[in-house]
Amino acid sequence: MRLWGEFAKGIYKENPVFKQALGMCPFLAVTTSVENALGMGAASTFVVVCSNFLVSVLRKLIPRKVRIPCYIVIIATFVTLVDMVMNAYAPQLHRSLGIFIPLIVVNCMILGRAEGFANKNTVIKSLADGFGMGVGFTLAMILIASFREILGNGTWLAVNVLGERFHNQPVLIAILAPGAFIIMGFILGTFNILERRKAGR
Amino acid sequence: MAEPRYFELAVSPHVEGHQTTRKVMFDVVIALLPALAAAVWFFGPRALLLVVLSVGAALVAEYASLRFMKRPISFVLDGSAIVTGILLAFNLPPAVPWWIPVAGSAFAIVVAKQAFGGLGHNIMNPALLGRAFLVASFPVLMTAGWIAPGRWQQEGTGLTTSGIPQEQLAEIEGADAITGATPLNIMKQTYDRETMDSRMGEGATEQVRESLSSGGTYLNLFLGKIGGCIGETSGLLLLLGALYLVARGVLEVRLPLSYLGTVALLGWVFGGSGWFNGDPLFHVLAGGVILGGLFMVSDMVTTPVTPKGRVIFGVGAGLITMIVRRWGGYPEGCSYSILLMNLATPLIDRYTRPRILGEVKKSG
Repeated sequence: MRLWGEFAKGIYKENPVFKQALGMCPFLAVTTSVENALGMGAASTFVVVCSNFLVSVLRKLIPRKVRIPCYIVIIATFVTLVDMVMNAYAPQLHRSLGIFIPLIVVNCMILGRAEGFANKNTVIKSLADGFGMGVGFTLAMILIASFREILGNGTWLAVNVLGERFHNQPVLIAILAPGAFIIMGFILGTFNILERRKAGR
Repeated sequence: MAEPRYFELAVSPHVEGHQTTRKVMFDVVIALLPALAAAVWFFGPRALLLVVLSVGAALVAEYASLRFMKRPISFVLDGSAIVTGILLAFNLPPAVPWWIPVAGSAFAIVVAKQAFGGLGHNIMNPALLGRAFLVASFPVLMTAGWIAPGRWQQEGTGLTTSGIPQEQLAEIEGADAITGATPLNIMKQTYDRETMDSRMGEGATEQVRESLSSGGTYLNLFLGKIGGCIGETSGLLLLLGALYLVARGVLEVRLPLSYLGTVALLGWVFGGSGWFNGDPLFHVLAGGVILGGLFMVSDMVTTPVTPKGRVIFGVGAGLITMIVRRWGGYPEGCSYSILLMNLATPLIDRYTRPRILGEVKKSG
């Protein structure tokens, strides 16, 4: 039951994007479509689970003073794996995510979990935590990508949802950079309102 | 019966100004009316419809936001939403579909103003941010849709969207290519001499340039007999409105003067084909700098409060405007220049803060 708690906290209570404001770069940059968000979410989940696992296994071996470089090496290993596998089996997705695949290395959500959790918890707990954070990150990406793709292109997962007329004349700004910031602002605002309501009760 | 109170005690401020937000805002509305009348005269009743839709949407959005945020609903009537609505509509091409001003106003009020905390807390000019939103979202609709003034009344009024008098236009080869564009569109084309010459014949660039700098063009530009955004075309009537504001003590002249002065100076320096042979008068009269300079650069909330800061703001905005016009991707840079300087306003205010009486200047 404790394991379930480690997993579930990543989804809402300690959601990496909305509660910890980690991983903003991919969150803002690649969420122009739900497909990209899913791909990026899956790749990041894989990396955070694997790196949490390895960091937790090696936590007693890694000298304290050089722990950050060690984490980076571990994370970079898995990112390289993801990069190559995606390039081989999903070249289309690999192309549309572009530079943001190698940049998973510096996603602070992953480094943050290594430093803040895996480094002082058991292997099993770290796996659950990594998986929860990964899923929470993916859900957050899908949430903002849904707004952006529907408003900016009239589609959801490439399926036309708002009709042909809207598709031909969408609110383009939603899939441009400023749209990402504006929509993120509104989502964070909504979360704050929900929090405040909960606290007020 | 109440006792007469001889020694009334009160906290500061002890001297109160006569201006209220409401008075200021309605003065601005009055000042914008002549330009609105010109818009209706030149572009037809449709222009009025767009302005009304824009103002209506702004009021509804203001009411909804205040309701949502549980603020006093009476703020709706302070007139600031009406001013935003009018200014936003003034920034639109006259042939845009009806939902454009509605979407732009709603964005201006909800995102650019109320999300930041309402009037007085907004960092950027709401009307201009609304326009930037529309240009980014619907680029095709916002950069076409120019109509020749008077076209709605009857065909062949002798007026062109370019402001170049028709008899002069007839002398230029390939004139059809430049009849549907605003003066600034054409100015932009003349910067690329090779393309223009190859399309319209040898020497066409010079000929077009001369026509843009002719007395007839100046007159059309000044009166507003040109294609352009709904409220930006008539320099004369905008000036009339601005004079009213100066007389009422609402408009402070440093901002507009430094802005328009910079545009004129830089128009002369690099607004032409080479250096120091540009046409300053054209650059001031064409496009949106008169509207922007008189009614948006002077927005009280989003511009510096110190005298020195205001001059810095005006010069900076003028510089950015001219850089966009000459080298940027758009024919007109007025709105972006003001938005960018809006962002610099807190910094400008901090560095130009006047010394408090008796404050010792820090050495080193």
